[in-house]
Amino acid sequence: MDQGLRQLQERVLERDLCTLCGACLSLCPYLGSHDGRVVRLHDCDLDQGRCFAYCPRTELDPDALARAAFGPDAELDVEVGHVEHVLMARATGPFRARAQNGGTVTALVTQALGDGLIDAALLTRRDERQLPEPLLARSEEEILSCVGSSYVAGAALEALGAIDETGRVGVVALPCQAQALAKMRGERGVALVIGLFCTWALHRAPFARFLRRRFGRRTVRRIDISPPPERLLVVATERGEETVPLDEVRALIRPGCAACVDLTAELADLSVGSVESQPGWNTVLIRSEAGWALLERARRAGSLELRELPQPDMEHLWAASLEKKRRALAALGAPEESYLAPAWVRRVLEAGP
Amino acid sequence: MNPLLVDAPRALLMGNEAIARGVIEAGAAVCAGYPGNPSSEIIGTLAQVAGELGMHVEWSTNEKVAMEVAAAASFAGLRGMAAMKQNGLNVAADFLFNLSLSGSKGGLVVVVAEDPSGLSSTNEQDTRAFAKMGDLPLFEPATPADARRITLRAFELSEEIGLPCIVRSVTRVSHARGPVELGPLPRPEDRPTPAFDRSRPFYSFPALANHRALKRKLARARSLLEGSPLGSYQGPDRPELVVVAAGAAWAYTREAIALLDLDRQVGVIKLGATWPLPDGLLCRHLQDAPRVLFAEEVDPFVEAEVKALCAQRGLRPGAFHGRDDGTLPAVGELGVDLLVGAICRLLDVSYRSRPESYDQRVAALERLIPARQVGLCAGCPHRATYWALKNALALDGRDGVVLGDIGCYSLGFGPSGYNLLDTLHAMGSGPGLAGGMARLGSLGLTQPVVTLVGDSTFYHAALPALINGRYNDASFVMLVLDNSATAMTGFQPHPGIGVDAMGRPAPVVEIADVCRALGLKVTVGDPFNMEGTIEAILELLEDDEGIKVLVLRRLCGLLAAKRGPPARGGKGRSPAARGSGATKVTAAVRVDTERCLGAACGCNRLCTRVFRCPGLTWDAVTGKAGVDEAVCNRCGYCVQICPAGAIVQAEDGDG
Repeated sequence: MDQGLRQLQERVLERDLCTLCGACLSLCPYLGSHDGRVVRLHDCDLDQGRCFAYCPRTELDPDALARAAFGPDAELDVEVGHVEHVLMARATGPFRARAQNGGTVTALVTQALGDGLIDAALLTRRDERQLPEPLLARSEEEILSCVGSSYVAGAALEALGAIDETGRVGVVALPCQAQALAKMRGERGVALVIGLFCTWALHRAPFARFLRRRFGRRTVRRIDISPPPERLLVVATERGEETVPLDEVRALIRPGCAACVDLTAELADLSVGSVESQPGWNTVLIRSEAGWALLERARRAGSLELRELPQPDMEHLWAASLEKKRRALAALGAPEESYLAPAWVRRVLEAGP
Repeated sequence: MNPLLVDAPRALLMGNEAIARGVIEAGAAVCAGYPGNPSSEIIGTLAQVAGELGMHVEWSTNEKVAMEVAAAASFAGLRGMAAMKQNGLNVAADFLFNLSLSGSKGGLVVVVAEDPSGLSSTNEQDTRAFAKMGDLPLFEPATPADARRITLRAFELSEEIGLPCIVRSVTRVSHARGPVELGPLPRPEDRPTPAFDRSRPFYSFPALANHRALKRKLARARSLLEGSPLGSYQGPDRPELVVVAAGAAWAYTREAIALLDLDRQVGVIKLGATWPLPDGLLCRHLQDAPRVLFAEEVDPFVEAEVKALCAQRGLRPGAFHGRDDGTLPAVGELGVDLLVGAICRLLDVSYRSRPESYDQRVAALERLIPARQVGLCAGCPHRATYWALKNALALDGRDGVVLGDIGCYSLGFGPSGYNLLDTLHAMGSGPGLAGGMARLGSLGLTQPVVTLVGDSTFYHAALPALINGRYNDASFVMLVLDNSATAMTGFQPHPGIGVDAMGRPAPVVEIADVCRALGLKVTVGDPFNMEGTIEAILELLEDDEGIKVLVLRRLCGLLAAKRGPPARGGKGRSPAARGSGATKVTAAVRVDTERCLGAACGCNRLCTRVFRCPGLTWDAVTGKAGVDEAVCNRCGYCVQICPAGAIVQAEDGDG
């Protein structure tokens, strides 16, 4: 069966399933992106292409990828994938002060780079319009310039294509990006994947238009989402903070996010999110030995403080994760329309309440 | 010595040179034209000798202006000539059809060189319909010798009747070389001093009175031309077939008759003037003709007129044959083969110009000839512009419409411009259509509108369309493909170059300045800056207010290759200085086969399968790209295309 750019176009791009992970862009001169859309620039007639092979929305078997990543006997949780340890963490010192949440990701990336586990970290920074742009960080200063989420999809993995010299790269990845990296199986020197929890990402161009419409010429300095039950988009400009009900921006979510079955970046070495009951703390799911080793280094170095995640938070996360999978399966409709392996889909549908 | 100034009884001249020689012998003082194949050499060669002869020769911005410039000389009592190709006559027609009513004074000749089959034109078009519509005399030379003679006669007739006369040439006359009898060169001091007699104004109105006078002048031309040696009959007294032939078709006819050895069966009426027709000559030789064949380029014009003439005079030749009844093809250029076939069919004789085995061998060899398409040259900056536009339109994603115009970049209809052009008509039609298309936005059109014009085309006909778009609040993007030459027709200068037709320094009319003065948004860029050009076009596509002009300036690749590296310290506004300033790189381009990905994923032959500059080659055996040094103009643009960085340009200058 043909699995090239033409098929990527038909089965992903034209169906609006693209998450703008950027994996295909890192490989191929026939693709470009503009305003948050991946665009086929020229016709490629190859019947097998890495663009198709690495896309997280072509064919995805989360179980097979997890076994390849974490070992053939890895225990696979239907809700959150393979998890070795569940903890709660926050950074100590200057990282925490600047962090959006607990600063755990910043501390871990800094640790990995400082200890020479990686030579560079592929991060996402916000430009002057608060839209994401990839940055290959090689210093603590550069890492700190990437603190905080932008909530907007940006094709960070595209920057892998620009890495010329061979070296070990760490990537802070959204779940879809962790899926693409898992499909690549270490190509392009990716040695570490720190996953981020993700419920959805905003579509670049419509969100930029929304900001322009709403805030005109004012400079947007920061964008945040307040924790539940408030759920407000908090936009800081030079005239202070303003809030927008989250429902107003929901229409600007990338359509492809509705088909996403991964809340917790199941294919990362470790995954980090917020803790609903404990502001200023991060949930950390440790999935691989490399992930565990990195966390240990950060703890021993005193840059991370660790605690047990409270049981209710854990249960809530597990339920929310399963709920996301089920919503996505419903959105995808008939199984033959799905990009997911049928056996895995059955497992999700048969899982308990 | 310039061949046009030879002082000898005869010389070997190209048809267009022979026309120019006729113009010189006629003592014309002012010649103007706009380049266009196959007419360009007339003004081109005259410009070379203009200084020596004290003539004014110019490339005008368009054909209507050229005709006005020549007519001004005529109004002041001097002889003037305007030259153009068939499409150009359409541009000039409005003036011409008023000029016919006002009349002229000094001999005024309009030379129209046609391109039957449209080999390098957007159309084929018969000038004789214009002559009939405008009641103007028209001559058709059949050979270079005719071309000189007829041009001289056209000037004389123009003065005799006070009307401009048209000389209609075709490619095979304009571009053929032949022996030309030469007349004496006039002495510049014999030329009258121009003066405009204000007691005798030139008005086209009152229409009826002037139209009546025009009919009288044409009738006078008819009687003056009756018995002219320009028309003749050659053949037996009682021919089996009479061919009525004009222009190049006469030469084809003569050759066909000689090949078939039918001198004693076929007679030929050669027409020198085809409007008005020489009625007496035609009637004399047609009244008893058993069959008549018409050999003429483009339309069956003479055929229709002769049929009418015969009906009028009660003549009944046996049968009429030509383009009308399918004896000759209804469209396209004629040739000796077609005339041989037609005469053979009509007289029931057979002729093989070559043995059958030859045709079989040709058929066998034909399969081995690689298919070639018309396309942009290696190193052409237009390819870079089209590449950027292709990318920008894809990224924009709204199915932008691309409205084309006339110039080398017209080739963008084909693969070398990635088939981007959606329309292609006349000079300046791109911006005009863009203004209309862009207005459809208020009726629901969601596609952005882009138009392309070249630098010369910009001056020729883009301005009224741009002013119209500005006035009527149209929003579109116009790319000016400024290669600093009228490249398609042979690198003639234009108002943006800083030099005139005669090689003298001239003021520069900057396209960007003109656009700014019209209130348009203007940016200037280098098409060889790939990312920058894509970004710039994308940005303009997203701007939905007003006309956005992007001038993409880069010297024509052929001129750049011809001129070589720039001299150090060169400055000024001469074409060489301006052009070569943009051409720093001359090192050889080559492919690092270690890095070349070939047909593998991540490239899939992007350079030779998609980008397709003819300088790039594909070695199917090794599976690697290469550079054909004989074709490559060393522009280096493909270095930016290669995703693997395998195309490199050596810095040392000789690769």
